[in-house]
This record gives sequence, structure tokens and C-alpha cells, in this order.
Amino acid sequence: MRRILAGLLTLGLPLSVVSPALAQQSTLEKIGQSGVLTIGTRTASPPFAFVNKQNEWVGFSIDLVEQGVKPAIERKLGKPIKLEKKESTPPTRIPLLSSNAVDLIAGTMTDTRTRRESVDFSLTFFVTGAQFLVKKGSPIKSIDSIAGKRVAAQQGSTNARIIRERVPTAKLQEFPDQPAAFQAQVDAYTNDGIQLYGLKAKAPKPDDWVVVGDFFSYEPYGMAMRKNDSDFRHAVNVGLMELIESGKYFELYDKWFGPKSETPYPLTAENKRFLIMQVVPK
Amino acid sequence: MNYQFNWSVLWSGQSGGWLLRGLGTTLALSGLAWLVAVALGIVSGAMRTVPWKPLRVVATFYVEFFRNVPLLVWMFFWYFGVPPLLPLAIREWLFDHGAEFWAGMFALGVYHGARMSEVIRSGIQSIPKTQFEAAVAIGLTTFQAYRLVIVPIALRLIVPPATSESLNLLKNSSVALTISVAELTFQTRQIETYTARAIEALTAGTVIYLGLCVGIATIMAHVERRFAIPGLIARGG
Repeated sequence: MRRILAGLLTLGLPLSVVSPALAQQSTLEKIGQSGVLTIGTRTASPPFAFVNKQNEWVGFSIDLVEQGVKPAIERKLGKPIKLEKKESTPPTRIPLLSSNAVDLIAGTMTDTRTRRESVDFSLTFFVTGAQFLVKKGSPIKSIDSIAGKRVAAQQGSTNARIIRERVPTAKLQEFPDQPAAFQAQVDAYTNDGIQLYGLKAKAPKPDDWVVVGDFFSYEPYGMAMRKNDSDFRHAVNVGLMELIESGKYFELYDKWFGPKSETPYPLTAENKRFLIMQVVPK
Repeated sequence: MNYQFNWSVLWSGQSGGWLLRGLGTTLALSGLAWLVAVALGIVSGAMRTVPWKPLRVVATFYVEFFRNVPLLVWMFFWYFGVPPLLPLAIREWLFDHGAEFWAGMFALGVYHGARMSEVIRSGIQSIPKTQFEAAVAIGLTTFQAYRLVIVPIALRLIVPPATSESLNLLKNSSVALTISVAELTFQTRQIETYTARAIEALTAGTVIYLGLCVGIATIMAHVERRFAIPGLIARGG
């Protein structure tokens, strides 16, 4: 037994030595050298990041990176770079960052204090909160009416955690994939409100579904990156600030969430103010 | 930018309890599925070798159908596909009594039963035909010959590959998290949700799986020695 343990330790040792060695380089240096900005994003979280009917990987978060963050990094480095997208999910996104597989998470990641202990976040680029998606005519109206009901949530999301803490009697089922959770035979599916509208729009019969309840959580979305790399973080933030300042952000917002989009989600005056106030002077 | 390991997340807060509960679910899920797999494996493995074609056809169909479709698909099939076919009352009862767990257990058991069947068939076919003929010659029926002679010998021969297959079953039980079964891998992800410490949580999960598998392999090695028939198998050391 002792020999087995010793063997395991020698196997584990190189792993812990190698990872810091790889991480010596700053993210901007890494991008400058490879000429590639790699982002981790989603494939099934419309309208932030998803594969559309034409089989293109698109979305609001991806547009923000392409039109704001990428140009800002290019200016900083003084040369053009390529954008590469990789799939990331709630359980994989922080490991993808710490292993250097991606440089930036740009999807639907909520900025939280716990997560800030492991990664750094850009400024907030979207604000939403958790609600429920139910069949039309369902008795579920809000978080107050889910006791004893079967509720599906996405694993690794902040919503599941809040339900477990606030309504422990709800029968919570957690699925790694949003589509699986949506198809589960449950009484309600919870996620961030805007994502529920996205799912509803993509459902075969969107009119059969309704999004109900007040926000029972506050979900500020940010882009996540490796900790303690303030030059890179600054470049990302500058990109986002310029988008907001120039009004480009609001054009993109209109493209994905405007009245003519698949998922209309009006920008409240309060949220608009909040976004603008995050832009610091030049 | 070095990754700062923080192993204390594994025992602070609820993490320890979650890991234990996950371990319990993994063991229950794998244990029950293993019983299903072994039962199906023995029956269908034996059926594939009997001198009566219809039985062989049925068993071959079972094996090829179930082992050639990915386990993930079977998970979705048993969870999303089967319940709507059941009468409403049974469905409601199931959903109140851990439908996810039972769907996962069936998916795992039936899938691995098909794979186990091949292991058992190869064991049976490695027994010289004369054994069967001798059994029949002393007056046993085919069923008795299988039950009293062929299968007991075959089971002893296949301990090493059957162990591998059982370990695969244990590790494949993690696929059940896709249908919301809160087993070990699910709980490591849960810890990640609460602490944002994925590497520590995954390492804990890995060490537990490793420990379980090494433990089972050790037990099976003892079983193999204990039940070996002297003179039947040429062994090296």
C-alpha cells in the first residue's frame, strides 16, 4: 500500500510543478506571441452565444469580443490577431482559464465574490436575474410557489444554489446541459431570465411557454480571465468601455435583444445608466 | 499568475458531506447496475452458446443492440424516452421516487450487461467442448449442464476481464450526472459551483475513483485465487 501511495505522489508531483511554469507569461504576451485570442464561450445559450440555424457560432457576447475587446487588444499589441472560440460550460470554464486553454470567458458567466477568489472579471456587460420557464397555465408563479415541485436547473449555476438555500423543499434536478434540463419532465425550469427567453424562442412551439416570477437573484454578467493580470484586464475593459461610449454596444443590444430580435428584452433606463456609469474617463 | 491551490475547500463547509453522499450514490448506482449487468450477462452469454438457434438470435440481438449505442444515448433514452410511454400513475410515482436514479441504473446495467455477456461467452467458449459432452453423457440436461458445469467453470475463467468490465461500469456511472443523478462526479461539480475550485474538487473525485477501483481490483484478485480450480488454469506465479 505504501508503495502505491509513493507512486501516486510521484505522478502528482510533476503536475503541480508544470502548471506554474506555464503560467509565467502574461496573457498579452501569450496573445502577442501566438497571434490568437482564445475565448471560452457557449454553444447553446442564445442569444449570448449559440450555434444558429446556418451553423454559425454567434451571439451578443461573441459580438462584444469581436467588435470591442479584440480591436482594443490589437491596438495594445500593435498587430492584428485572430479570434478562436472554444466551448466552455459552467463546470469547465474556470479550469479552462487556469490551464491556459482559453484567455477569456465570454458567455453568460455571473460575476460573484466567490468566483473572484479564483478569477478576475471585466466590467459588467449585462444584467439579469433568475426566473422560471413554465408551461402555459402552470400554477407556478414565482419562487414562492415551488415548494414540493420538481424544478430543473443548470448545474453549476448560481440559480440552483439560491433555490437550494431558499426553498429546500423544492425537488431540484440539476442538468449539465440547458437543452436536457428543458426537456426534463419537471414543473419548472429556472435560469437567468434572459436565457429563458432565448430557450422559449428556440422551442418548437414558443407560445406554449411563459417566463414567470420576479428576479429572485441578481446576475451581473462579466467576462472572466486569469487572476492578477491587470494589463490584460485593462485592455478588455477598455474594449467594452469604448463599445458603450461610442454607442456601438446599444446597436448590438438592439440587434440581439431589440423588438425585432428573436428574444426581445428591453434595456431598462436603470440598466442603461448603470452601463454608462461604468465607463471611466479617458 | 500561479494557480493557488486551496485544498481546505474539500473539508470546509458542506463539501465533505457532499463527497460522501456522492460516493454513496455512486456505490448504490454501480452496485445495483452491476447485479443487473451480471445477471443479464450470464443469461445472454450462455444463450449465445447453446445449441438452439432462436435463443442465440435473441441474445445476439440484445448484445449488438445495446453495446453498439453510446451509453449517453441510453441514459437519455431511459430518462427522457421511457417515462412518457408509461401510464400516468406509474410515471408520477416514479418521479416521486428517484426516476433519475432508476433510469441511470437501468441504462448502466443493461448496457454493461451486453458487454459482460461477451466476456462470459468468451469464457464459455474457451472450455473444451468435451466438458459439455461429458456432462450430457452422464445424464444432465442442457440446462443442468450449463448451470452445474459450464457456467461455474466459465465464471472462474473470466475473473480478470470481468473485473475490468466492472471497473468500467463503476467509472461509467458518472455519465448519470447528465440526467441529474447526484453521484460522485456531480458532487465534485457542486463543490466547484460553491467554491469556484474545480481543480481541487476534480482531484478529490479522481482520488476517490482511483481508491475504489484499486480496492475492487484487489478484492477480485483474492476472489480469483480463492476460487481457482487447481490444475484447470496454467498460471504464471
